[in-house]
Amino acid sequence: MHALLGQNGAGKTTLMNVLVGLVRPDAGRLELWGADLDLARWSPAQAVRAGIRMVHQRSALVPALSVPENLAFGDPRGGPWFRARRAREAARALAQRYGLEVPLDRPVEALAPGERQRAEILRALDRGARALILDEPTAVLTPGEAEALFASLRRLRDAGRAVVFISHKLAEVEAIADRVSVLRAGRCVASRPAQGLSAAELGRLMLGDVALPEAAAARAPAAPPGSPRLELVGLSAPGGDEASRLRAIDLAVGEGEIVAVIGIDGNGQRELEEVLAGVRRPSAGGVRVRGEPVAVSPRALRRAGVAHLSGDRESAGLVPGMSLAENFALKGSYDDRRFFRRGRFDLAAARAAVAGAIARFAIVPDDPDLDCAALSGGNAQKLAVARELDGDPPVLVAANPTRGLDVASARFVHEQLRQRAAAGAAVLLISSDLDEAQALASRLVALVRGSLRAVPPGSDRSAIGALLVGAPA
Amino acid sequence: MTRALASALAGLACVAAAIALLGDAPGPALRALVAGSLVGTAAWTATLLKTAPLLLSGLGVALCFRCGVWNIGAEGQLLAGALAATALATRGPADAPAWLLAPAALAAGACGGALFGAAAGWLRAWRGVSEVISTILLNFVAIHCVALAVQGPLREAAGAYPQSDALPLAAQLPALGRVHAGVLLALAVAVAVHALLFRGAPGFRMRAVGLSPRAARFAGISPERTGALALALGGALAGLAGACEVAGVTRRLYEGLSPGYGYTAIAVALLGRLHPLALVPAALFFGALEAGAGAMQREAGVPAEAAKVVQAVVILISTALAAGPLALRRPRAAEGAR
Amino acid sequence: MSEALVEATLRLAAPLLLAALGELWAERAGVVNIGIEGTMLWGAFAGFAVAVATGSAAAGVAAAGLAGAAVGALFALFAVWRGADQIVVGTAVNLLALGGTALAARALWSGAPPAAPRVGPVFDAGTLPLAGALLRQTGFAWAGLALALASGLALRATRAGLRLRAVGESARAADAEGVPVAATRALAVVLGSALAGIAGSALVLSLSDSFSEGMSAGRGFIALAIVIFGRWRASGVLAASLFFGAATALQFRLQARGGAIPYPVFLMLPYLLTLAVLALASGRARAPGDLGRAYRREAT
Repeated sequence: MHALLGQNGAGKTTLMNVLVGLVRPDAGRLELWGADLDLARWSPAQAVRAGIRMVHQRSALVPALSVPENLAFGDPRGGPWFRARRAREAARALAQRYGLEVPLDRPVEALAPGERQRAEILRALDRGARALILDEPTAVLTPGEAEALFASLRRLRDAGRAVVFISHKLAEVEAIADRVSVLRAGRCVASRPAQGLSAAELGRLMLGDVALPEAAAARAPAAPPGSPRLELVGLSAPGGDEASRLRAIDLAVGEGEIVAVIGIDGNGQRELEEVLAGVRRPSAGGVRVRGEPVAVSPRALRRAGVAHLSGDRESAGLVPGMSLAENFALKGSYDDRRFFRRGRFDLAAARAAVAGAIARFAIVPDDPDLDCAALSGGNAQKLAVARELDGDPPVLVAANPTRGLDVASARFVHEQLRQRAAAGAAVLLISSDLDEAQALASRLVALVRGSLRAVPPGSDRSAIGALLVGAPA
Repeated sequence: MTRALASALAGLACVAAAIALLGDAPGPALRALVAGSLVGTAAWTATLLKTAPLLLSGLGVALCFRCGVWNIGAEGQLLAGALAATALATRGPADAPAWLLAPAALAAGACGGALFGAAAGWLRAWRGVSEVISTILLNFVAIHCVALAVQGPLREAAGAYPQSDALPLAAQLPALGRVHAGVLLALAVAVAVHALLFRGAPGFRMRAVGLSPRAARFAGISPERTGALALALGGALAGLAGACEVAGVTRRLYEGLSPGYGYTAIAVALLGRLHPLALVPAALFFGALEAGAGAMQREAGVPAEAAKVVQAVVILISTALAAGPLALRRPRAAEGAR
Repeated sequence: MSEALVEATLRLAAPLLLAALGELWAERAGVVNIGIEGTMLWGAFAGFAVAVATGSAAAGVAAAGLAGAAVGALFALFAVWRGADQIVVGTAVNLLALGGTALAARALWSGAPPAAPRVGPVFDAGTLPLAGALLRQTGFAWAGLALALASGLALRATRAGLRLRAVGESARAADAEGVPVAATRALAVVLGSALAGIAGSALVLSLSDSFSEGMSAGRGFIALAIVIFGRWRASGVLAASLFFGAATALQFRLQARGGAIPYPVFLMLPYLLTLAVLALASGRARAPGDLGRAYRREAT
């Protein structure tokens, strides 16, 4: 059981992608069970044949097919015919053998994230994987499901398979790894048995000379929130599937308050973000800003003073192919008279405005005409922050704003959120990262299957975990 | 630039090969092609006359492609414009002065094309119908509408042939020799479209939608509405091309008016990398090709349709040489910076 | 009377069905090939030329299939292997067909093209009612029906069909499982185009007398609409083809009856009908997940 550790952007996923043939390396050797392999001609098909299977972060199942179909289509065994009933039986038997329950009759896209994860692992095991690679497997699992997963993995290890386990969570590594390798900025800085390694030392290896993450940062005292700035009233909205449909959500965020909506991805977070960004129409209820109801559309929400940050570039409203200046002006194309007057777009004004932002936030590279697709994740997010916070909006909605960012950039974003709250803005943070939520928020609420459940203050992690699973309060 | 040249040369080489394959001598054919398009006043006149409609409809296509909308309907939009212009000019007030009637006919043409474009735009935005299919189907509808018109309501007074009356002099475009004002108009429109795309708010939104519909949506821009607008504008440009054709070249409406300008316009747009100013030389290239093809048919007996072979090869090589699918993004400065 | 209508329906539906099935295979693999219009034209030309030269309609049909496959290979070369935009490549294919067939036709038959040997009915059913309408159909109709059934079966119940579906729904997932995405798509396109070529030969060897330029007249595009209307299922494609065949048969009937309606109106009807059908049906259709997107292997 080998843990591959490193922070976001260190190269863990890339390295594993090389191993399964999805990325061609520039140089290097691969030695597999004693044999030297030519990486230049390594391909996914060969990796599969060699028994190396990877369970990716992004689902590699075909969404429109069911689990038995997904198990069957890549299977080199089996004749020219696909017998649905037989495939279903085989899938059921496999699931029972490994204790990984999954619905077998629905297309994968209709499955909850935890079920999808299990289906992925099932498929990897079905092919007789000799080496199983798991990329951040517990990202979408509840603590209970993670425990069950670890148990399955231990069984596999005891049966003689090799398991590589990519993570950035020190606690998990401590729990199950036999050996640990640490990647930092594309280099392997350590590779040794896990026994005896402390969390502090692992953290140091992972982060290098940068100070430890802000887990110990002082949490803002829970000052009584000011008058409600952002209110969700009886908000219901259609969802991608049954689990993520929003059901009659009531939430109020006051002046100066940071409220974090926590939960496991797939329970409605995306839908909630999209409603607050104005691109998903609610089926019932509405949004109020400063007591006034606001139409759920991007322009109306922006006019009402709601800013939106996102961990996903497109949801953040950054258009690849347009320059920094154009992206800075993007959201105001209908009503921002600084950049758009009488049907004309004033590029010079946009350039000037973004130059100021570039200087203030130290965005690199600093050319206002540069294609924004050339920016790194951290710098792109800085641009988005600069744009959204322009004009001191009274309400800030941030959905997984530090996803995929390096530690320095993440810290920058957190600092911005704290500052805005201190200045009186109402901040709603939607995050699947419990550490981030606990570090920033004065109040936590859990989004479970589309409904909000209050998190009693002072709950410990296992209590929160139980809540996230949907255990009765 | 090199990509454009490579594509153009490849096209010419292929057609030469095709001609040879079919038993003719490619040499004289290609000589006639070049002479008929670039040598002498008559050749240049023919070239410029072919360039005008290609440039205008090419701009319409490029505008739509920039918005992520696959407008394959420039041919039908052009014909609709020709129809509308003829209807206004021949059935409108007969004694209107030239300064009123000619522009009015052009405006009517733009409206006619816009109508066909908007129809596809509406179907796309509100019924989710792929604009690829709808614009192609509307091409056929437009062809038959023209036939309907010239066999019926717009038929010439003499009733001898299925064609309209000659356009009144007041509706015809002023000309220098045979080169009509539409050529200059097309150039001006190219500049205007450039300004719209890079310095205009609607153009800004169209570019955003074309590059990332999802990001644009989050920015408050509706991809559906913007796409519909693009189709309407693109249709208007192609309609304008049709109006210029009837008002400047053919002087009347009849079936088979367009030798496929609307389809060639796609090749023009792609060769010019969807950049309005680059479309001018691209349109010139294809205009010369069309003019030369006519000469090639007259003098070397090779059918003018050979030009379509060149267009096809140009499109194929042009997109194959692009880094992956039609790459609108540049790694360095974004295009709007120029 | 209605029996003649049924017969006309089947006869007119056959080329649409064949072309639409070919497009179905390509689209279920994730490739939108709007070049089937040009492919049908090449098929018509090749089928006609070979049939005239050899005196055998069957040889013409075979040649049409080969010609279609060749066009498909060209399309696959640019759109699948090279990853160029599928709509653009399809447009080029259509232009190439219009120009190329015109060039070739004028070179071969500088006057009017001669008449070609016709493809006759497969069975001699005499004057049997209704069933006779079916039995009197040419091989094209029978092939179309058989292929529709076979396609449906293949997509649902064969491993090859499952893999094809996987490639069309999510090329990335299929690639990660070791399914050869490019090869699968290319094969689907080539086979589908071969079928479209045969459909083109049906136009010239069973529906008309000889070849004329541009004779596909948009039927390839109607086949595209049929795939959408049929919700990317073989059964739906069959039903939609019959629908359009019936509509065309009715249109001819109305035309023959004459009356005050001008001829071009009738010519417009198939296209307007297609538009109407798409406007009503498009809303809820669900295309294969990766349709129209070129796939290139890259790191996540």
